[in-house]
Amino acid sequence: MVQVGDMYYAWGSDDEIATSGECGGAVTTILKFLLEDGIVDAVLAVKKGSDLYDAVPTLITDPDEVIESAGSLHCGTLNMAKIVGKYLDGAKDMKIAVTTKPCDAMTLVELIKREEVDGDNILMVGVNCGGTMPPVKARQMIEKFYETDPDEVVKEEIAKGKLIIETKDHEEQEISIDELEDAGYGRRTNCRRCEINIPSMADLALGNWGVIGPLAGKATFVEVFSEKGADVLDKAIESGALNTQEPIPKGVEIRANIDKIMAKLAGKWQAKDFDETRGEILTTMAQYMDEFDKCIKCFGCRESCPICYCENCCLEADNGPDWLSKELPPSPLFHMERLIHMVESCTNCGQCEEVCPAEIPLAKIWHEINLKLQETYGFTRGMDEKMPPLSYFPAPGK
Amino acid sequence: MNIQYTPTTCPYCGCGCGFNLVSVDGKLKGVEPWKRNPVNEGKLCPKGNFSYEFVHREDRLTTPLIKKGGEFVEASWDEALDLVASKLGEIKDANPEALAFLSSARCTNEENYLMQKFVRAVIGTHNIDHCARLCHGPTVAGLAQTFGSGAMTNSLESVAHADCIFIIGSNTLEQHPLMWRRVLQAKANGAKLIVADPRFTPSAKKADLYLPFKSGTDVALMNAMMNVIISEGLEDKEFIENRTKNFEELKAVVMKYPPEKVADITEASADLIKEAAMMYAKADNAAIIYSMGITQHTTGTDNVMSTSNLAMITGNLGRPGTGVNPLRGQNNVQGACDMGALPVVYPGYQKVVEGEMAEKMMTAWGCGDLTCRPGLTVIEMMNAADAGDIKGMYIMGENPMVSDPDIKHVKKGLENLDFLVVQDIFLTETAELADVVLPATSWAEKDGTFTSTERRVQYIRKAVDAPGEARSDWSIICDIAKKMGSDLFNYDSPQDIFEEVRTVTPQYAGMNKERLEKPEALHWPCPDEEHPGTPILWGEKCATPDGLGVLMPIEFIPPAELTDEEYPFTLTTGRMLFHWHTGSMTRRSKTLDREVPTGFVEINTEDAAELGIKNKELVRVKTRRGEIEIGAKVTPDIMKGIIFIPFHFVECAANTLTQSFALDPAAKMPEFKVSAASIEKME
Repeated sequence: MVQVGDMYYAWGSDDEIATSGECGGAVTTILKFLLEDGIVDAVLAVKKGSDLYDAVPTLITDPDEVIESAGSLHCGTLNMAKIVGKYLDGAKDMKIAVTTKPCDAMTLVELIKREEVDGDNILMVGVNCGGTMPPVKARQMIEKFYETDPDEVVKEEIAKGKLIIETKDHEEQEISIDELEDAGYGRRTNCRRCEINIPSMADLALGNWGVIGPLAGKATFVEVFSEKGADVLDKAIESGALNTQEPIPKGVEIRANIDKIMAKLAGKWQAKDFDETRGEILTTMAQYMDEFDKCIKCFGCRESCPICYCENCCLEADNGPDWLSKELPPSPLFHMERLIHMVESCTNCGQCEEVCPAEIPLAKIWHEINLKLQETYGFTRGMDEKMPPLSYFPAPGK
Repeated sequence: MNIQYTPTTCPYCGCGCGFNLVSVDGKLKGVEPWKRNPVNEGKLCPKGNFSYEFVHREDRLTTPLIKKGGEFVEASWDEALDLVASKLGEIKDANPEALAFLSSARCTNEENYLMQKFVRAVIGTHNIDHCARLCHGPTVAGLAQTFGSGAMTNSLESVAHADCIFIIGSNTLEQHPLMWRRVLQAKANGAKLIVADPRFTPSAKKADLYLPFKSGTDVALMNAMMNVIISEGLEDKEFIENRTKNFEELKAVVMKYPPEKVADITEASADLIKEAAMMYAKADNAAIIYSMGITQHTTGTDNVMSTSNLAMITGNLGRPGTGVNPLRGQNNVQGACDMGALPVVYPGYQKVVEGEMAEKMMTAWGCGDLTCRPGLTVIEMMNAADAGDIKGMYIMGENPMVSDPDIKHVKKGLENLDFLVVQDIFLTETAELADVVLPATSWAEKDGTFTSTERRVQYIRKAVDAPGEARSDWSIICDIAKKMGSDLFNYDSPQDIFEEVRTVTPQYAGMNKERLEKPEALHWPCPDEEHPGTPILWGEKCATPDGLGVLMPIEFIPPAELTDEEYPFTLTTGRMLFHWHTGSMTRRSKTLDREVPTGFVEINTEDAAELGIKNKELVRVKTRRGEIEIGAKVTPDIMKGIIFIPFHFVECAANTLTQSFALDPAAKMPEFKVSAASIEKME
């Protein structure tokens, strides 16, 4: 029996999946098995849109279509939890397996606590994440630094502190992430600051880190984080769809080390981004007034924020207080209200900043305040079972 | 449950932003970012974010309507189209020039192409126009004279590389928010921003130098700037020598416009004019951005040419971060012009007066004789309808009862017609006057291409089915043509039509499906399939016969209607962030409507105090055309003597007040931006 805490090297027994997916196609195999076995009604994953740089969410109910979602898309800067909440009715009527980066999984955890998503109906198939890149900028970077036509690239990967690209004619090029990011390219700024690379809050976490020896490149490292995860993995192995092997201890060590190195790098970016302020709400808001002043009230941050889900939103002209100016830019209170409503559950997923047409560094601001809030209240958003401390009093005795 | 992301292009302004329409079980539920799109990288303005909200409205037109005894009665498509074909045929047989057609900057290239082909090849007239006439007609006319082709010279992204940006007559932040983003990017890199506007707009508030000046004095202002530049020796002598002609003639005129003298005309400070001129001229790369504030004047074409004079004497052409950048206001107004939905040109701006072109099109289309006599423009059509010379009109996707100047006059003209067909998605104010109303599909319900302000030709993709019996505009046109006996309208799909567009439109020739399917799409001109497209025009030479840019000496001419004792205020009109044009879509979008539910008149705090008008008080605004009742918005953010009304709101329609008696001679543009008006307290 698979137990919580178990680790495996895993790969699919279906040849097509093993080659289409990355590292033996374990993620694809598990998703397909979940549909075939009726454990879930649908799989929410990401598929390639117009090209490698275009990640499009897809809801799959036919097991044979799961293969469309095989492979990694490092420009998939989405938040999958938002889609579950906004378009899939919080999974209230169907069981859904969702592929989750750490920020997706953390957001789902917060939405489940807030009863916006039905946790009983969600299975989180987590994937390790070292960060994602904005698509248009990634293409510019490939032209500028790799001197390669971005349309010629068939695969990109972040490994050992380098961004490696592979072209159609199997040529590989690598450049250090530090160099790219110091020049303003590379991963999204929120990803750079993110210290959580292995989604331990998901049911399972899969990734290529730590797969060494003969299976390197041919299998995926799986860690089990919940009873639910243990159960489905057990069934997938039992059915013969998924092959597993004990991980090589050195590999386990390497994986932990990569995680540590990435977290350290995130710490460096946090120090850099947050060096002037301390994350106190009022101080930080004051510091960024000139940024908020650029707001054009497009509602993009609200629309993209997974924690902003109210039916009636007090940010809209008619619903807010009468004394608030209706002029552009909207009152600073617009952002204060958003802050009060979502900052405790903010997972630094970066959506708000990415969609902002006024280039306000929103994710940076909220991340900074969120970290302070976590510290002040001893609360870890997206991870622990405690309710968000500004919205809910703790249950007696907790 | 089925969830579908459909990447498409925004139906509002000319920026041409991309996004995903999200449908769940066949109904639109939202807009999600399409971060892979290079135009906007997933970022949108409020109109884009809520563009899905009007699509499934219950008041969508779902069946053809025929007016019987003053009331609309539902009809079958066959019945409605038979009636349209027979009525149009009847009028055509008597005199094809008694029919006039308004095409639509809202519709696709394919639909505009078909409309003009139908008008020319089946009806036999060039009486086709659309509301580009009322936005960038002067741009097309003006830049064609100075550069040889009338379109935005640079791409949106290019503006991010400017060292100085001069915005005149554009409230870019509200009207073209994703262009504004490029301005912000340039500013973040240290660029200086100059905004010249009678209103201290949200855009102006972000300027390094705000230059308030009186509406309608643009030529004088820019002549004074050139005067300063030449006096200070800041002109780009090499560029002037190698790339332009007429400099001495230009110099002779602008030397008559010293800033001190122009300060009197424009009510702008001479010092600020000087400072703006120096700031613009000293930058390595300076871009001009303009919009309706430049074009909507009886001197619109002059104003446009003044912007190109300014760019050329400083050598700001043909490089990133430079150029003359007219921002087009509608999703496909560039394309509708490109497709020849204009009375003087075939697709690709090939002139109808040239017999050679008529021959070319007759061969291409396999049709009978094409006349070389230019057709009527929008305002001329309405005048001719009023005079009884136009007997029948066909209006596709336009709402002149709100968008055109002097609405009372428009109404009189339309009511005077023997037959009016309106094809639209809602029963607009114009549709209410029609004899036959044909229900069309919205942009979310069809395929095709839009051409954005930066000349980028991009796909729109069908996301959901149209309601009821509504049909796409292109298929309706095909059916009417067939019913009128034409066999030139056998198309299976918009793609099928686009293939024909490529063969007759030289700028589009290299655009095949595979290339357009890439998110980058293509900027015209793209003359062959190997050509990469042209994001920046005029790098080496202009499109004039000798390749030189033409400097145009232009004297200042005052606006057509001047203030007097009875009408002491200058009324100017415009758009605002949350609404779009006649509001038929944005006012039906609940989120947008909630932000700004109705119109207002902006009046300067001191003017208001003198008249005893308080903020939000209902007042009466009058011109020689008519009067409206409207709430006052008292603000220091507008110059004294000037009042402003957004034109989206039919219940307090700005265009009841504007005039159509005086037109720009070259572009036939009425002067939306200047009317003499009075404002008074209600009794």
